Amino acid sequence: METIIIDGLSFGLPLFIMAIGGIYSERSGIINLAIEGLQGFGAFFGSLSIILVGHFFDIPLQKLFYLALLLSMFGGMLFSTLHGLLCIKFKANQVISGVVINILSMALTIFLTTQINSIVFGAMSDKFRIGTSNRFTIEFLAKIPIVGAAFKNIYPFQVVILIIAVFAAYVLNKTRFGLRLRACGDNPHSVDAAGVEVSRIQYLAVMISGALSGLGGISFAYSISTNFSPAIYMGYGYLAIAALIFGNWKVLPTFGACLLFGFARSGGYYIAQLLKMPSTFSDLIMILPYVLTLLLLIFFSKANHPPRALGEIYDKGKR
Amino acid sequence: MSEYIVEMKNITKRFPGVVANDDITIQIKKGEIYSILGENGAGKSTLMSMLFGMYEPDQGEIWIRGEKVNIKSPNQATKLNIGMVHQHFKLVRNYTVTENIILGIEPIKRYGGLFPYVNLNQAAKDIAKLSKRYGLEVDPNKKIEDINVSLQQRVEIIKMLYREAEILIFDEPTAVLTPQEVEFLLKIIEELRNGGKTIILITHKLEEVKKVADRCAILNKGRLVSVLDVKDTSTKTMANLMVGREVSFEVAKKPSTFGEVVLKVENLWIRNQDNFDIVKGVSFNIRKGEIFAIAGVSGNGQIEIADAIAGLRKISQGNIYLNGKNIKDLTIRDRIEMGISYIPEDRQDVGLILDFSLAENLSLKDYYKKPFNENGFLNRKVINDYGAQLIEKYDIRSGQGIKTQVRSMSGGNQQKAIIGREIELESSLMIFVQPTRGLDIGAIENIQKMILEERDKGKAILLISLELDEIMSISDTIGVIYNGEILKIQATQSLSINEVGEFMMGVKYDD
Repeated sequence: METIIIDGLSFGLPLFIMAIGGIYSERSGIINLAIEGLQGFGAFFGSLSIILVGHFFDIPLQKLFYLALLLSMFGGMLFSTLHGLLCIKFKANQVISGVVINILSMALTIFLTTQINSIVFGAMSDKFRIGTSNRFTIEFLAKIPIVGAAFKNIYPFQVVILIIAVFAAYVLNKTRFGLRLRACGDNPHSVDAAGVEVSRIQYLAVMISGALSGLGGISFAYSISTNFSPAIYMGYGYLAIAALIFGNWKVLPTFGACLLFGFARSGGYYIAQLLKMPSTFSDLIMILPYVLTLLLLIFFSKANHPPRALGEIYDKGKR
Repeated sequence: MSEYIVEMKNITKRFPGVVANDDITIQIKKGEIYSILGENGAGKSTLMSMLFGMYEPDQGEIWIRGEKVNIKSPNQATKLNIGMVHQHFKLVRNYTVTENIILGIEPIKRYGGLFPYVNLNQAAKDIAKLSKRYGLEVDPNKKIEDINVSLQQRVEIIKMLYREAEILIFDEPTAVLTPQEVEFLLKIIEELRNGGKTIILITHKLEEVKKVADRCAILNKGRLVSVLDVKDTSTKTMANLMVGREVSFEVAKKPSTFGEVVLKVENLWIRNQDNFDIVKGVSFNIRKGEIFAIAGVSGNGQIEIADAIAGLRKISQGNIYLNGKNIKDLTIRDRIEMGISYIPEDRQDVGLILDFSLAENLSLKDYYKKPFNENGFLNRKVINDYGAQLIEKYDIRSGQGIKTQVRSMSGGNQQKAIIGREIELESSLMIFVQPTRGLDIGAIENIQKMILEERDKGKAILLISLELDEIMSISDTIGVIYNGEILKIQATQSLSINEVGEFMMGVKYDD
């Protein structure tokens, strides 16, 4: 039971922060299927940065944990400007732009990883080893039965994610920027008529989405594999999109959906162990969150209300 | 200081292929209601969009309060105290009234002096006060999607007032309102004027101009034809100047002779996609030679009735008989062949295929039959000859005849093409949904004449229109729909426009 909660949270929270990024983008009216690629690129950028810094300044990688988070966010943001440019400036189809960025990100980062490994480190590898992250336990809370497991073996990134998530929810729902952003997703013409630049808000939203995806990506790199490798493109970005759709583009319900996915995954592993399944079957268990997605799609699709102007190419002149 | 608050001097604006405004000069005094009158495409909205900063003029100058200005954005216009109610409201539908009004100029407060947030409570109070002062009652906490069009328009007006606008531009504000709502709006406009605001009213409706405007500028095809004092000018003169020729208001209508029942609708129920009953137990008959009009405010179920009869929409209960046969389970094509012609509301999406040629569009309902189709191959020659014949017969004007891409044709000619095609089906029932929407006076006259001709030929006609004037002038019988129910069916000549208006608002009489 404990491992289900612990692993569920360490998987669900990175998913959640990516989904929040998606909410920002989509509520500003820009479909963001690029989350998958953005999280990969963010993780790549963060990993590469710290191993270079560690290599040249001789700093142990463990000390560069927060730098890795920060630079992954920067990397994700950087790459997301491409999606922004394509969708906002060049008015490209947003679905296609997202898919293209995912493919591009995967190809580009794998290529660069192997090249940099062989040129800088003289090694044949498609991975960046970024070391493990410390985990900690809040002793007095961990003693609470069942729920206490949530405070055991916490990755520091989980705390960072929660703080950012609360702040992101506040910005989206309470501030001037949030009000304007959500208005863009419903009727950009109203925002324009109110004298606010629609494209500026959409750029910011997409970039925030990129940054948060990067944070999610590096968190997966730390928690699942202790390295950056092509294995990071497992479709978690798409899962985050599914979560935000089930969450009806709202932060709190999306949190619920992400936890559900997290627990489905960790619970699946637990069952596999319990049944003493051979390890090859664990791959089968990995599909559990996706099967769950399919089932939820059947039940929730009708009640969902996407932002009205989602995916609409905003053309100022058109009335 | 000049006596004029707004001066637009020698304004020219070109769009690819058209001169929307050609050397127009207008001068507007502070505190007057100044109307811009013209047909669709005359350049009214373009002219005012430049005043509001949505376009910039190619040539000419704009002076506000005696100073030359360069208005590059709506933001700048707002700073000059200019406000505009657009024809299509610029409202966020899932936001409250308050959120919509403050968007762009949100009042900010801070949590613990630190984290800023939008102070919705204060704003709601301010808005409640403002709306009371101008008699524009509206609940600031209601969402836009939950209030009706007329209230939404109020929100747009309050939005301008909240921004302290002094020059208020209304773009076709009455197009979406019922007669009673129109009267209320015109009263509000007059009160705003009396309160010292300057009003610019863009419209093509002469009665409104006559009722409230002090002066009016008439545009025709991008040119300024005349500026008139409204009280010294007759409606007739204004109409002639607007259209550029003599217009007759009276539709020549012969007395009607009804034959046997063609369409019989019995206890019709229709659900929309949210499983909500949108038409509730509607029954009516249409006879040969009768124009039966359904009057109602948009969205009360009238379009759904037309769609259900044509077969575009499923019904949940009831029966539809055409010439005595129940057609409720037939496919659309079966119904067409049984004798239904349909002129849809959305002529560009449903009525035509815009990227096809005119000839192809004219044979859309025959292409599968001989001689248009021989052994699975289209016979181009037949299609083209047939197209040419219809173009001639119905006076459909286009750039390149049968080859014209329909997209490039004017709305009036697109509509003529559809109506021509549907008349040629020789159906016993013709359904017209908003046949004159968005057309200019000349085209409207033309199309109303065509409808009456079909009636005189003995066809049964179902007319669905939001233009009450149109219904009053051409229909024989009126059914007024409100909230999915037909409240009243009565002969047109025994009803006044105000009575119909009241039924449209849901007022029931106990008779």
